[in-house]
Amino acid sequence: MNKFLLFLFLLPKVLWKALGADVPQLKAILKVKLMLDDRRPLTMGRAQSKKKPARFMTALSVFLSAVMGFMYSMPLMLEDKFMALWLYFSTFLLMLSFMLVSDFSTVLFDTRDKTILLPRPINERTLLLSRLLHMFIYLFRIVVPMSLGGWIVLGMTQGWKAVVWFPLPVMMLTIIALFLVNAAYLLVLRFSKPGKFKDIINYFQIVFSMLFFATVYLMPRVVESKGFQELQHAHYPWIRFTPTYWLAATWSWVQQDKVWASTQWLSILAIIGPLLLVWLTVKYLSPSFAKRIGNIDVVDAGETKAVNQVKVKQSKQSQLYIRLANLLNKNPLGKAGFSIAWLQTDRSRNFKMRVYPMFAFVPVYFFYMITLNRKRSIAETWENLSNSHTHILLLYMTSFVVMNLLAMLVHSDQYKASWIYYSSPIEKPGAVMNGAFKGIWVKYFVPMFTIVSCFVLYTWGLKSLLDIVLAFVNITLFGVAILRVAYRRLPFSAMEKMNEKGNRFFKTMFIMIFPFALGLGHRMADLSPSLWWMKILFIILSAILLWLIWDSYKNTSWDEVKKVDLSS
Amino acid sequence: MQPLISLQNVSKQYGEKTVLNNVNIDIFPGQIIGYIGPNGAGKSTTVKILTGVIQDYTGLVTINGRDIKEDILGLKQMIGYVPELADLYDLLTPNEYLHFIGALYNLPDNIIKERSQKILQSFGLIENIDQRMDSFSKGMRQKVLLTAGILHNPSIVILDEPMSGLDANAVIVVKELLQVLKQEGKTIFYCSHMMDVVEKVSDRIVLIDKGTIIANDTIEALRDGSDNSLEKIFAQMTTSENLNETAGNIAQAMQDK
Repeated sequence: MNKFLLFLFLLPKVLWKALGADVPQLKAILKVKLMLDDRRPLTMGRAQSKKKPARFMTALSVFLSAVMGFMYSMPLMLEDKFMALWLYFSTFLLMLSFMLVSDFSTVLFDTRDKTILLPRPINERTLLLSRLLHMFIYLFRIVVPMSLGGWIVLGMTQGWKAVVWFPLPVMMLTIIALFLVNAAYLLVLRFSKPGKFKDIINYFQIVFSMLFFATVYLMPRVVESKGFQELQHAHYPWIRFTPTYWLAATWSWVQQDKVWASTQWLSILAIIGPLLLVWLTVKYLSPSFAKRIGNIDVVDAGETKAVNQVKVKQSKQSQLYIRLANLLNKNPLGKAGFSIAWLQTDRSRNFKMRVYPMFAFVPVYFFYMITLNRKRSIAETWENLSNSHTHILLLYMTSFVVMNLLAMLVHSDQYKASWIYYSSPIEKPGAVMNGAFKGIWVKYFVPMFTIVSCFVLYTWGLKSLLDIVLAFVNITLFGVAILRVAYRRLPFSAMEKMNEKGNRFFKTMFIMIFPFALGLGHRMADLSPSLWWMKILFIILSAILLWLIWDSYKNTSWDEVKKVDLSS
Repeated sequence: MQPLISLQNVSKQYGEKTVLNNVNIDIFPGQIIGYIGPNGAGKSTTVKILTGVIQDYTGLVTINGRDIKEDILGLKQMIGYVPELADLYDLLTPNEYLHFIGALYNLPDNIIKERSQKILQSFGLIENIDQRMDSFSKGMRQKVLLTAGILHNPSIVILDEPMSGLDANAVIVVKELLQVLKQEGKTIFYCSHMMDVVEKVSDRIVLIDKGTIIANDTIEALRDGSDNSLEKIFAQMTTSENLNETAGNIAQAMQDK
């Protein structure tokens, strides 16, 4: 596959040469980069590498892209074909750009380039082209499955002409996506301090991924609504200025229709635009690109000026965690666990990337669930919200965030730094783990649950107070139980994607079923207002269970804690 | 005199591979032991056993005459350990990291603050105490790791390549520090590849190769009357190759004839 792709992308050798690249060097760089792409999952651990070949991961990502492609091909069913295509291309473009920003930034800014490639006699054009082509090949593997849905839908509804025509706008769209991401990166590089760059990109990724699943979940609902069905492109003249409109206009080449005739000339822009963008990137954005990349992460000891830029301010916030750590923990080990959990989660981009989007999941998924009943319109559902029992659903939905939070509390790409626990005189690792759990609980769960509770109290009134208390106890119980059963580890001490030995299936099932069972029990107690005493009983029972499990977790000994192999 | 640390017939295997084979070492209080050997000889494994990180070995390790398995926490409290090229939570600042480490050793906040500030001041790192370590150079990180290793005032200091990445002045500081610690009666177990440093600072040199101790003596005794450097002695004991010839072969490989 890679050989073929490499051959394909190196075919226009003359063009690459004309753009100033050294073709043999370009080929050598690309070959190695593709090889690395293929092997990346293999570095995740020796045990795993033998069992799971990397290709499996690639196939999975291809499959997921295809599923996503079908999701946003839905607007293609719209009455107004022009609007349908515009919406389709726009969503496609957004998704692609998102994928590029989130997934590919690590490859684009592979800091090893700096030590391996930059000292070699390679010119900037070759470097930039190698990056661009690498992205293209990577994109090819995503774009093809992603566009499959639209391709099939168009083929079925419009015939063979549409099938033949389709790859061209998709190709142009890919170029646009690529330019957008590149330009965004370069702009950020130009205007931000080197140390801050990765943080800014990180926030981009978080916002995009929130947008992403909001689209996936809410798209079908929106598509079904009446207002959406009646959308007309003529009502929105501004869309003519968007590149995706020009792409939609190329439809006029295969479809003879009055609708298309008026704006046919815009379709030329769909070809000229992307070509212009490629030229712009190579000609104007490439100078100083390499230099700026070089500044991104490591700062030399001598350059104290730059070091000063990432100085952590001793702000009120940093005083807050110390005060909370002292308040909530009796022993120093607990305090140590509390502070490491607080500080690591504050600064780890990986943690933010995994956990922050989950906060958006709660409202999005709640909206998705309550609108499942298609007989009612969205407005009606909203008005009747306070008569439903959906507040219980909403409260328990926060356990999805908890699940992620706790997984990220024990997993880290810096797991090797946990050697310090093993050489320190720690009698019970449970003490550190307990502190870390408290830290993450106070920092993330409590504020999130408070916000959700305020909404519940506002909509459902004071009668929901007992439900809030019960849900709070139950979700805490769930959190401690996952830690006790599945993640009995020191904070940030496990390698990510580690192959958990033993009854993994059981653990996964437990994690999935436990909150559901608790929620269902809660819902039972909510069947009638006269059952209020059951809720109180439930609170007491859950609290006792919570205390028992927490106590066992807190007292985890060295024999019970799962250790990580640090010898590698 | 009773040795402070004693390894008796210590062996360790990883699967089929024997990493340590009947190792016997006695270390007396106030000594600096230079522990040297080629890559993969078993140095790091010895250190991990001494620090209580590895506990599934055979043989006996005692500290003050007591089996370390009986009081592993007491052992860890006595030892300050600076691993080679160690990972640290580099998203934290030195100040935060040292407070975290200090808490693991049960030190009060004010002591941690006072000691870490003094040590970092001496290392010339006080300006950087509130900066994230992810932008630190290798040498700066090493200084933080050294600080973390001695923060709790251990009576035994185990250093695995402590000079790694340090600049010339910092190397002098660490060498002096070893002497000062020794004068305070601390025992130092020093693993390194830097033969000239080991030669100068060590009271005793222990040479390990393929899991077996092949020499254990003072530098004078190892020289055996000759004026050979430790580097030369090391090469003679650990390799049968003629190293000059090897270098010649490498240089010749680039002559295309």
